Amino acid sequence: MGSKIADWLDERLGWRSVWEAIFLRKIPKVNWLFTLGSATLFVAVNQAITGILLTLYYVPTPDHAYNSVQYITNEVAAGWLIRGLHHWGASAMVVLTVLHMLRVIFLGTYKYPREITWFTGVFLLIIVIGFGFTGYLLPWDQKAYWATTVGTKIASVTPGIGDWILRVMRGGPELSAVTLARFFGVHVWVLPSALMALSGLHLYLVIKIGISEMPGKDD
Amino acid sequence: MNEKKEIDRRSFLGMATWAIGGLIGAGFGIPAIAYIISPATRKDEAQDWIRLGSVSKVELGTPTLFKTKIERQTGWITKEEELSIYVLTENGRDFVAMSNICTHLGCRVRWISDQEQFFCPCHNAGFSKSGEVVSGPPPRPLDQYQVKEEDGQLYVLGG
Amino acid sequence: MNEKEKKDYLAGYKKAKEKGVHFYPDILFKDAVVSLLIFILLAALAYFLGAPLEERANPSDTNYTPKPEWYFLFLFQLLKYFPGELEVIGVIVIPTLAIIFLFLLPVLDRSAKRHYSSRPWIIGITSVLGIGIIFLSIQSIRETPPPAEAGLGDPIAALYAENCASCHGPMITVPEGTNLHLIITQGSHEGGMPAWSGDLTNNEIDALAGFVLSPRGHELFNSNCGECHETAELVSSSPIELKAALNLGSEYPAHSELDIPNWDEVLSAQNRTSLLNFLVAPDGQRLFAINCSACHGRSVAYTGEEAELESLISQGGLHLEMPPWQEKLSSDDLDALARYVSSTDASAEDAELFSQLCSSCHGTLIPQMNDFDLARDKIATGGAHETMPVWGEVLTSEQLDALVSYTMDASEGTPLEVGRDIFSKNCALCHGDFGEGGVNPARPDDVIAPISSAEYLKTRDDHTLFQIIAQGQPNFGMSPFGSAFGGPLDDDQINTIITYMRSWEANPPVEYPPEMTLPDNVDLSGVEIFETLCSQCHRPDGSGIGPVLSDPDFQKNNTDQEIFNTISKGHPNSSMIAWSQILTDDQILQLVKILRNLNNDGSEAGTSGPASFANDVRPLFEEHCTICHGQMGGWNADTSENVINTGNNAPSVIPGDAKNSLLAQKMLGTQSSGGIMPPAGLLAEDQVRIILDWITAGAPDN
Repeated sequence: MGSKIADWLDERLGWRSVWEAIFLRKIPKVNWLFTLGSATLFVAVNQAITGILLTLYYVPTPDHAYNSVQYITNEVAAGWLIRGLHHWGASAMVVLTVLHMLRVIFLGTYKYPREITWFTGVFLLIIVIGFGFTGYLLPWDQKAYWATTVGTKIASVTPGIGDWILRVMRGGPELSAVTLARFFGVHVWVLPSALMALSGLHLYLVIKIGISEMPGKDD
Repeated sequence: MNEKKEIDRRSFLGMATWAIGGLIGAGFGIPAIAYIISPATRKDEAQDWIRLGSVSKVELGTPTLFKTKIERQTGWITKEEELSIYVLTENGRDFVAMSNICTHLGCRVRWISDQEQFFCPCHNAGFSKSGEVVSGPPPRPLDQYQVKEEDGQLYVLGG
Repeated sequence: MNEKEKKDYLAGYKKAKEKGVHFYPDILFKDAVVSLLIFILLAALAYFLGAPLEERANPSDTNYTPKPEWYFLFLFQLLKYFPGELEVIGVIVIPTLAIIFLFLLPVLDRSAKRHYSSRPWIIGITSVLGIGIIFLSIQSIRETPPPAEAGLGDPIAALYAENCASCHGPMITVPEGTNLHLIITQGSHEGGMPAWSGDLTNNEIDALAGFVLSPRGHELFNSNCGECHETAELVSSSPIELKAALNLGSEYPAHSELDIPNWDEVLSAQNRTSLLNFLVAPDGQRLFAINCSACHGRSVAYTGEEAELESLISQGGLHLEMPPWQEKLSSDDLDALARYVSSTDASAEDAELFSQLCSSCHGTLIPQMNDFDLARDKIATGGAHETMPVWGEVLTSEQLDALVSYTMDASEGTPLEVGRDIFSKNCALCHGDFGEGGVNPARPDDVIAPISSAEYLKTRDDHTLFQIIAQGQPNFGMSPFGSAFGGPLDDDQINTIITYMRSWEANPPVEYPPEMTLPDNVDLSGVEIFETLCSQCHRPDGSGIGPVLSDPDFQKNNTDQEIFNTISKGHPNSSMIAWSQILTDDQILQLVKILRNLNNDGSEAGTSGPASFANDVRPLFEEHCTICHGQMGGWNADTSENVINTGNNAPSVIPGDAKNSLLAQKMLGTQSSGGIMPPAGLLAEDQVRIILDWITAGAPDN
């Protein structure tokens, strides 16, 4: 019965060839260090799922943001878990991205033919940092407010256009409702789009070229 | 020679992988469902006696409209809501408190004293003095509140 | 990497793949295991640590120490090493270089070698960057103070930010001699500043005044005292104590256990002055209230020059001596003065003599003595005025200036008193003594409505009242009173009238009670009438609606006949009806007698339960006695033991025996030596009762 449905679907979708290309492909024997990339992917998925769930209740305005976060944490069933997973997932994301990158550097994996994979990886790192920066204004608590005040202020040191950058980031001279709204927009629309596009490319290259083997002493 | 063993090992690994995937899926899925439906399953707030006003304001034999404000907590917002309740008494001792919300689609009914009827302007429904459906589509009589009298004041149970 | 190397690599990789395993399930299984572990770890973190949520964002909280998320700490720390103009290096140059280095890695390192032992440079640079980031992060965690401590910080700055900064900005400068306490308390109706007395406590207002007047002092307070003290707790303490604490350093009793420096070595004289100006703001009204009113009452009568007053205050009792009057006066005159001081039935001539000779120093506060001979002796021989502290040694020059200028102003009376005076001269004729209104003298058919009801005062703001008084109400026969409209009063005087009228708001003299119940039978005795009828409005103790019947002023200003008339005829506009229609003259006469007795039995109401030293008795001592006795006299009121055992004539208190306790005698004026205490005159009767009861109860330390 199951195989009949599978056949029926395969005739129309051709999923078996996709399955074979992605999952049944042969790759060199590697050690546990090579799970760092997929671990990062897992945490990214975790952030997406919990992030989407958080937006069900979260309101990005200064008069409601804090209350809605409090509501999520204290009132909604499993709200503490969803928010906790998202919060700690953010830290895990940074840790895993950096560890993944260090592994690539130490094993020389960025070399031919995987240069493009590396470039997209560096962009992905910057995006992850962007997630962290825009994300922690959103609860609108003391830490959020002041750390973002300082964070945006730091950008204004840029010679020449610093003040302009500051105003663009904050949407005005001060941290305000406008800042919160645009940080929210960037955090849930702009960065996720970029993340999906770039990680799509990153994964395509990984599958297409294959993961590298452990280099021997002579390689 | 080890072919069979190898196949066993791989099918075991495959199953284990699916099992772990299922575990993680449940780890996300169950809390997510609870998280999504939680506000809907929340019990109505504890009901409390709401003061309507003085008993002496109720006219004998005519539904009298009382308006009162109650605070309602929805999500993270507390707002004041106006509650309109018709109170009817035939003898000055036994009171009936009726909601002014039409049981059909939730429009507000009003008392038309000429016709001795509650009238709902949305679909021309009519209710009798005591709230029974007289005409139109409503499925049941007007909702009633539990009512009590204390020190000359009327209270209804609501929240 | 040349073409051959590329080919070699691809060939080698192909071989490795062939020897390798399928992605599913071999590799995917490992990934799944790792993912599960990460999921469990994250869920555990969420469960055990939760996601932190601090207080709601508060942009006016200037004390919060911002600290970024841990993965930005290294960047935050980096900034500390690049101060000023170099900041751009830490913020822009280094991070940009690091990113560019990462990005160009495949371009920089193009050799075919992959093993780390063949690539020392890349591994080296990466390791240095990584270790640097870890080091900076650890450094940052070690150096950043925990935010909670700093968060508590500075309530006064927060108070300012919350209440004042939105209009006044981060800082106000006020001209010298400004009576800030008054301004903050009453607000300013021209400037649109609200009266803060409703929202802030007196201590908070004082602390704010100090904050505005001496910002430097506020800084010094935070850095030196803030760790142990709250501002609000210190602003209400006596300047003598504060000065002593500053001068004595660790020898100051309360500081003796503490490891603190000698403030006179650590802080310059100027800084100490700033600090005192912050804690005891140069605000005359408050200084007077704290320092002077215990002896001098609400104001002193003083008519001399300002400079003279300044030297009087700053030199205090040291140089202020009462002349031996026997050299100047006849024996008869001495007798007259002693009579005036020691007994209540002095003649008008005696009073005249006193006001000629004595009141320039003593004001209206007559030193009381019960014994005629003692009084005569004291007047005849004169003597040093020992009780007044040498304020010049205690107060800063700013405080002294403020105190002097306030005293000069206040010697004309407080605004309230001045207002009452002006009101009674100009307004009371038509509006009645307390605004109850009555028949309009200009138009006998009209009745003037009360202007002292809560409703009247609530519905008119100060500006409207000012307009009414200044321009008059020609339609109702009220002539303009403002000098601008040809009337007798200037703007200040009108404002004092308004101040006086506002004082009615607390206890409106005219108020319509809801309903009055009359008994069927009014054939009652005076006491019964008062209890059943009068007290419905006036309360059993006479403190209800209308004038406070037990108030000495009320008793003094109204003759029996006047009180009789008021009861019998009523006030046409208040609910005080003409009782002659209901009561007989005889009953009204009884009521007058009862009213006269009201101020005598007020004391019975106050005491309930045994007095506690800490809660009831010590506050009285602190309010009335320690202003002089704390630092100067030998007597000390901080513990019950000291109350009993210290003092030049110790024991001051004989527990259980109030009659023979020196303290009680002094307080009641029955002492055998020295003057009555406090010198301003007897304490209120209920206060005396509390202290006496406490002594009788054995002077417990409770």
